[in-house]
Formats: sequence, C-alpha cells, structure tokens
Amino acid sequence: MLWWAMCAFATLVLVVVTALWVHAMRRERPQMDAARARQLTLRWLVGGGLLLPTLSVLLLLLFGIPIGHRMLPLPLAGEQPMRIEVVGHQWWWEVRYPDSGVVTANQLHLPVGRPVDLDVSSADVIHSFWVPRLGGKIDMIPGRDNRIRLQADQAGTFRGQCSEFCGTQHTHMILDVQAHEEEDFARWLQARSEQQVSALPGPAGDVFAARCGQCHRVAGVSEGNRAPDLSDVGARSMLGAGVLSNEPGALLRWLQEHQRLKPGNAMPLHDDLDPDHLSTIADWLETLRP
Amino acid sequence: MTTPSNEQVAAQEQLHDQFNDVWGNPRGWKSLTIVNHTTIGIRFMLTGLGFFLFGGLLAMLVRTQLAIPGYDFLEPDVYNQVFTMHGTVMMFLFAVPMMEGLAVYLIPKMLGARDLVFPRLSALGYWCYLFGGLILCASLLLGIAPKAGWFMYTPLSSAVHTPGPNSDFWLIGITFVEISAVSAGVELVVSILRTRAEGMSLNKMPIYAWYILVMAMMIVVGFPPLILGSILLELERAVGLPFFEVARGGDPILWQHLFWLFGHPEVYIIFLPAAGIVSTLLPVFCQRPLVGYRWVVLAILTTGFISFGLWVHHMFTVGIPQLAQAFFSAASMLVAIPTGIQVFAWIATLWVGRPLYHVPMLWLVGFLVIFVCGGLTGVMLALVPFDWQVHDTHFVVAHMHYVLVGGMFFPLLAGIYYWLPHFSGRMPSVRLGKWGFWLVFIGFNLTFLIMHWTGLMGMPRRIYTYQSGLGWDLPNLISSIGSFIMAIGIATVLLDIVLHFRFGQKATNNPWNADTMEWSTHLPPSPYNFVSLAPVRTRHPLWELPDLEERIDRGEFALTVIDHGRRETLGIEPLTGKVREIIHLPGNSWWPFIASLFIAFTCLGLLSKFYWVALVASIVAVLVLLRWSWENGAHPLAAPDARVQPGEPPLHSRTCDGPGLWGMGVTLLANGALYLALLFGWFYLWTVSPNWLVPDDAVIDQRLLLASAVLLSIAVLWQRPVLRRLRQGQGEPAALITCFVGAALLGALHTGLLLWALLAGELAPRATAHDAVIVVMLVYSLAHGALATILSALQALRVHHGYVCKRTPYEPLVVEQFWQYSLAVMWITYCSVVLFPPTFGGV
Repeated sequence: MLWWAMCAFATLVLVVVTALWVHAMRRERPQMDAARARQLTLRWLVGGGLLLPTLSVLLLLLFGIPIGHRMLPLPLAGEQPMRIEVVGHQWWWEVRYPDSGVVTANQLHLPVGRPVDLDVSSADVIHSFWVPRLGGKIDMIPGRDNRIRLQADQAGTFRGQCSEFCGTQHTHMILDVQAHEEEDFARWLQARSEQQVSALPGPAGDVFAARCGQCHRVAGVSEGNRAPDLSDVGARSMLGAGVLSNEPGALLRWLQEHQRLKPGNAMPLHDDLDPDHLSTIADWLETLRP
Repeated sequence: MTTPSNEQVAAQEQLHDQFNDVWGNPRGWKSLTIVNHTTIGIRFMLTGLGFFLFGGLLAMLVRTQLAIPGYDFLEPDVYNQVFTMHGTVMMFLFAVPMMEGLAVYLIPKMLGARDLVFPRLSALGYWCYLFGGLILCASLLLGIAPKAGWFMYTPLSSAVHTPGPNSDFWLIGITFVEISAVSAGVELVVSILRTRAEGMSLNKMPIYAWYILVMAMMIVVGFPPLILGSILLELERAVGLPFFEVARGGDPILWQHLFWLFGHPEVYIIFLPAAGIVSTLLPVFCQRPLVGYRWVVLAILTTGFISFGLWVHHMFTVGIPQLAQAFFSAASMLVAIPTGIQVFAWIATLWVGRPLYHVPMLWLVGFLVIFVCGGLTGVMLALVPFDWQVHDTHFVVAHMHYVLVGGMFFPLLAGIYYWLPHFSGRMPSVRLGKWGFWLVFIGFNLTFLIMHWTGLMGMPRRIYTYQSGLGWDLPNLISSIGSFIMAIGIATVLLDIVLHFRFGQKATNNPWNADTMEWSTHLPPSPYNFVSLAPVRTRHPLWELPDLEERIDRGEFALTVIDHGRRETLGIEPLTGKVREIIHLPGNSWWPFIASLFIAFTCLGLLSKFYWVALVASIVAVLVLLRWSWENGAHPLAAPDARVQPGEPPLHSRTCDGPGLWGMGVTLLANGALYLALLFGWFYLWTVSPNWLVPDDAVIDQRLLLASAVLLSIAVLWQRPVLRRLRQGQGEPAALITCFVGAALLGALHTGLLLWALLAGELAPRATAHDAVIVVMLVYSLAHGALATILSALQALRVHHGYVCKRTPYEPLVVEQFWQYSLAVMWITYCSVVLFPPTFGGV
C-alpha cells in the first residue's frame, strides 16, 4: 500500500519537474526586467527547492515511522508469540523449535493466524532472513541475535531466500516456508518431536554412520551437527536449499552430483563410495518423514 | 582593438617562448617527469576512460549471465569476482578519478592560475592511481580477483571465509589508489583557497570551484575511515589481529560502520562535481548567470555536511535500535532539500534565460530526468519499512544506477562534449553525438527502469542465476537487451570523440560563448595557461571583458618576467582574494614516479607475502619522499634566488605562510579523520562488541606511556620560543640548530619510550581485539613520533646548508603543525587507553 502511494507521488514529482524543465526550455520569452526575474527565481527556489521537498519528506515520515514501529517485535500483552530460532550457515538454514526440541533444515513450518518471533543468527558469515510475502528482512549476524516478527494470515507455501551476499552459493540458499492451520501445525510439530527413525541395517548403514552421520543428524540414528538435520528430508519439497525438486530419485542425484549442482558446497564428494551403498542410503533417506 | 605592430608581435612571441622554456613538457622517457596539471588531468581522464571500459565489459558479462534463468555462461566463483570487480572498478577507478581529473585540468584555468599548488603531488597521485588500478585489475586476469562484493563485508572477506589473495588485492590495491584520491583532495582544497586570481573573493569564484572545494574536503575527511578499515582488515587477514571477529572480541558490524562512513559521502563526492558541471554549462547555454548563486553555494555546503550523517541507512536491516534508524531515515530524506534547491535553481535559470540547443544540453536533460527519478527512489529507500522489503534486491541496484549514471555519467558526457574543443581545439560532430545520446538514454532506461520491478518481485542482489517461473525471466531479459543497446550507444559516443580529433571542425576561441576563465587560454592550452595573470573581480569575466584573452596574451598583467627560470603563480588571501605572495612551483621531476614505483613494490610484496621485499621497498619509498621534500624552498633546484620585480609580493618560501602550511593542515585533517575512525572503533567495541574480552591486569605500563607523552609535550614546548622569534623575523642559525636538534633528541626519546612500552607490555594483539586496537593506536603514535623526529633533524640539516634561516622561516612552521598534531593524538590515546577503561569496568 505504502509502495503504491510513494510510487504515484514520485512519478508525479518526476513528471512535473521534467515538464517544468522542458517547458522552461521551449517557451516563448516574455520581456522581463531584472527585478521581475529576481522575484520569479526566488519563488522557484523557495517553493520548489525548499517547500516541496520539506513537505514531502515530512509527509513520508509521518506515515512511515509508525508503520515501521508496528512491525517491530515489541512485547505483547496477552498471548506471547511463538519462538523459533533460525541459524544461517553457508549455504543452508538451521531451524529449531526450542519449546518442543524439534530441529529441521531448509524449511520453516508456521501456524496460521499467530505472531511468530524468529530469533536469527549465523554460524559463519552474515546472512539475511527474508520471506518476501510475509514481511521484511533481518540480517543474521554471527555473535548477535536479531528478532523479527512474522504472521501468516493464510495457509500456503512461501519462498524465503538469503538476502545478504554470503559467498559462492548465496544464490542457492532458499527457505521453504509452509504455513498450516493451527491443528495441522500442532500435528506436524507433535509428529516431528516424537519421530524416531530406525537405523539403516547392513553395510550401507555402517557407511552412513561412519561418514554421513558425522555431520548430519537423524533423530535416533546419528548426532552430527555440522550439516543439515535429515530427520524429515523425505518430506521436503526441495533439496540442497533450493537446488533440486525432491522428486523420486532426486536424493540419489544429489548425492552423486552435488558439486556440479551447487559448486563449492561443504559436503565432500562421495565418489569413493560403493554406488550400491549410495543408492541404498538415498532410498532410505527418501523414507524419512514425520 | 588595435592591430599590434610587428615589434609587438615579435615581443609577444619571445615572451611565450620564454614561458615555454620554463613550463614546457618533455617528450619520450622524460614525459614520466611531467607535473603540469593539464597533462596530469588528461592522464587521469584517459586512464579513467580505460577503467570505465573495463568495468563496463564486466557489466556486460553480468547481464549476459543473468539474461536467461539457469544460464551457465559464468561459473559462480567467476561471477562473484566479476560483479565485485565491476563495482570496485566503477566506484574507485572510474567515478572519483575521472571527476578529480577534470577538476585538476579545469580548476587552475577557471581560477586564473598557472598550475595547481603542489604539482609533484598531482603527479604522485596519478602514478599511484595507475599502478594501484593495474594491480587490482591484474587480479581478475589471474583469476584471483576479490569476490566478496565491492563492500567487502566481514566475516565473508576475512581470512577464514575467503582464504587466498583475493581480498588482499582489494584491501591493498584500493588503499594504494586512495593515496591518489586524498592527495588530489588536499591539493584542490589548498589551490582553491590560495591560488585564485587577484581580486577573486570567495563569493566571486566560479560555482564549479565551490563544488570542487566541497568535494575535495569531503574526500579529505571521508576516505580515511575506509583506509583505516582496510588497514585493520588486512592486519586481521595477514597477521591475525581480530578487529572484526566475534570469538576474540571483535565485531563484524564495525567494518560496516567504517565502510559506510566512507561509502555514503563517496556517492556525494561523485555527484557534487557532476552537479558542478551542470551548474557551469546550464548558464552558458541559457546565456545568463546561474540563478541563486548564494542559494546553490549554501546547498552545496549543506549537502557536504549532511552526507556525513547518513551512513546507517545502508544498515537498516542489521538490527540497530529504532530511534537511531528513525534519525538516519529522517536525515537521509533531508538531503533531498539541498538537492531540490539546486534542481530548481537550474529550472529557474532556464526559465529566465534563453536556452540554446547543443549536444551537451541533450545530456543535461537526460541527467535531470534520470537523476530526479533516482533521487525519488532514494527518498523511498530512506523510509525504513520500505527498505526492509527492498534492501539487497534489484530495486536498490536500479536506484543506485539511476543516481550514479544519471547523476554522474550524463553530466560527465555533457561536460566532455562541452570541453572537448578545449582539450583538442576541435568541435565534435552533432549527428553522431545525438545518436550516441539517444542510444545511451534509451538503453539505460530499458536496462534499469524495469529493474525496479524485478526488485519489487523479490529478486535479490548478487545471485549468479535464478529459477524460472518466479516472474523474473522476462524483466531480466529486457534488462540484458537494454544493456547491449546502452553499450552500443557508448561505443557511438567514443567513436565521435575519437573521430573528432581528425575530422572535427576547428574551434573558435570561445565556441560556446562561455563566461569562465578557462576559455581565455589557447585551445589546446599552453602548459602555463596564462602568460600574464589577470585580476578577476566578477563571476563572469569573459562576459564582461570579452577581449581578456588578447590582453593576457599581450602580457598586460602580472608575473610576466621569467628570466629567473621559476614557475610561478600568485598566492592570495583565501576570503578576499588580495595578493599576498608569489608561489613558486616545482618543475618536472622524477621523484613522484620513483616514489610511486616503490610504493607499488611494497604493495606487490605484501600481496605475494614476500614481506622482506615489502619492508625494503617501503623504507626506500620513505627515503625517496624525504629526498623529494629536500628540494624545496631555498634549495638550488627550487628557488635559491628570491629576487622579485619591484612592487611584487615576496616569494612564499620567504614568508611565514604559504601553500605548504595549508597543505600540511589539510593533510592533518585527513590524518585526523583516520585517527578519529580508530577512536570510534575503540569506543564502539567497548560498548557494542558482542563478546568483548578485557584483560584482568593492565597490559601496558602506564607510567612508560605517561613519560612518553610528557617527553613529547616537552619537545613541542621546547620549540615554541624559537619559532615565535622566527615568526618575527629573528633567529640565528646556531639557535635554530639547537632548537631542532633538541626537538629531534626529545622526539627520539619519546619514540623510544613508546617502543619500549609496546614491546615490554603484556599485549596479546592476536588474542583479543582489545589488545589489537591498543597496538594499532600505539604504533600510530610511534610512526608519528619517528617522523617528527626525522623532520626536525632534517630541518637542522637544512639550517646548516643555509636553506632555512630567518629570511626563509617557512618550513619549520610547517613541521611545527605536525608536532602539534602528534602531541594531541598522543594525549588522546593516553586518555582513551589508560584513563577511560577503568571507568567502564576495564583495567
């Protein structure tokens, strides 16, 4: 709303100023003595140079400052907003629900109709949290906790993206945001917090524990904490923080080609692993959902 | 106007020959020694053009990559280098140097002087610019260019996240180039204040000179915070001193503050000279003076001041308290007021004038449309909630290109077309010029107008590709097509400029019927500009005295005798324009080139991590600079003979006030800005750093520090009586030598104690930001103490050689300023490091 008002006003000013300039250039010159010229020019300078900008600016600030104020995460009377923590990494999102202990990655589930306070920070460089259709952005700075308050008014899927240049794969740091009605959200949270995965049996499972599990956490199976939590990776719509759509076979493709799809990402190559093991692990990961 | 007789013509020719002997520019290898501002200005502009084309090529690469979703024309790592270098090259190697180059060329001519006031410094500035720029661009050709964005945010740009030399090229290369910018800034300030024509009081100065004066002051004060930040980041990368790293007590946001403290004034440094071009050309093409001269001067000054209070608007999403944000939001909008005053002054000038249509006018109209549009989106961005949506999206990219291209590039081209006859003596073409303009104008708007929309749809900055289906496909394609049209337009303009040297019509003396003095030189100008220096008591000398050029050429005015072989121009009082002294200027010299070469070796040594090379080269560079300073004043190669014509004022080196005093003063302003930025960092980290680590015990011997400061105070007080007598024209060599040798000894003791304090303390600069900042502060004072000592020792030596005495009292007073500055800094450091922390919970 604010944008359209500003756009209209700005276009008006631009058109008027341009028109004045061009008209000033082309019009017929009436004879004018020095005194009249002085009077006219004073009018231009004061009216156009002083008054016009001052009034416009005052108007803008009058409207803009309260709007900004309303967006701030100030203390609320009554029900407290839900708290979620988001930590930025190069180049993935760590999402934690402190009240229930749920940890996930590259996706953010929100309840509809309730304010949510996101406490954001970073584990390495400066990132920025932004879901365009839900609100403004806030920087994720190592050593600091910044807070932004969002509220989804309808259920749906929204796209979030990192908005501060954070290195080679800043481009591929997409956050999948899903807003659910209250009961659906509660159900999801419950299912995730109770989720226990049984370990992958056999040699593939050993490979997982010895390699993948060192960095990735899967509830009940491994405790790595340097890479995205994979406990519900099968249910995600995208892989690699927005690189691949999570269709059947995508996980295997990711494991095999991730350096080509997202060059520079922190996961090492798996070329030394037995392709059958890789395939088994991929199939198993596809089953991981709450 | 009488036709001169044959004898008069012969005499005039002989006069010009004599001047050419003294002022002439050598050819071949020796052209590396040229210090004349006309040549240096043109060199700056041609080099700026080269870097502009390089930066433009990089932009084309970016637009090609973004034309289609998922395109793999450039690998991500290469793309990141390309866009970082595009921004860096355009901002540091094109925008500022180009404007400075034009000012270097024009200012002495407009002010009726023969040259700038520190010609060798201009030359040094040019070589530093060339070498620094080449080093920086070489990095891209080697594939190791900086890739953390032109703004180099930490921690991304630190050694942990960008290992390898990439960021170092930026930090070291840009600092090298900034020497050039700051030295040109110092030079322009002093030249504008002290070398104008006789009678040209400040309020009779051409309006362009006001713009450049403010621009130069802004450079002097605005560049040092970045220089400091770059030094600190490079120390963090190379040596491990943690200024911006949270774990050891630093704060990445400190970098942002230091960067934007420079970064915001930077854009006004770029805009103001362009607005100066508009304010100069428009009255000429309206055939009447600029409306509201005083209003415009006030607007320029206000813009300069306000621009230093806006920097946080680049940081609205960082999480700064709301009150601060509201303040910076309001201040950012307020700057629209002085800008609005200028715009309406221009409209008013058009309104009451009689506009002519020439190619430069086309560019001025284009400027108005594009710049006002950009300014309006800027006001929008200043509104915090709006900024929270569009920060770091292509909306900002669109805004900044509108203000930069509209506000700088279009006026620049208007100016180039206008002054082309001055550079070359020929007129450019009209048809090709119009084609060029329209192609650029249409291409630019096609590229960037729709980009506002792209940004509003959420496309972030600095991404190397994007998914299809987000609505970004078509706008990006349109932008990319537009960029090619714009490139063709620029090529057309270049073609026009190149061709006109060959095919352009010869220009008359004052082809545009302009009012300012630069048009009273020959076209192209002689190296000495004016063979005699005319008094100027009006803002429009050529409109009121149309035969001025002829009279100057006949030698009717001042300083026409040149048998002493000195290059001279007049020195005046800054406010009134009353003549005070004759300023003698150095001729061609190798020192600037050699000094610059050794600074380049120092940089290369640092970059390649051959630190011994860097150390040796830097010592040699300092020695070269000191040797250069030796050839001053009464030295045989400068002005050993102080004879002047009867009725003329004395040479400046025989007085107590001259350009050097002012140059030192302005340089100390820059130095002070650097120190203040360091102080800011110290207090900022104490108050805001997320993980501030304070030692349990004192890490430095406070008594040693105190003793060192006291010694420095004594050194300054020791000199005062002798210098006071020197100002009154008294002082025998023995007394002078005793004074300076004593000062040097005390200075050496002070420096020695400081060094002892530094080495003997428990400082752990690699462990905590606290200690790292203290170390930097102490090393800063150490360097100043050492330099002051050396300078006084040299003064003693010069007294011994007879170059300094009661008749040439000039230099010791310049050195005194440096001592006083060092003293102030020492005590402030002492208070900040020793007295302040205990009040804040430290030791």
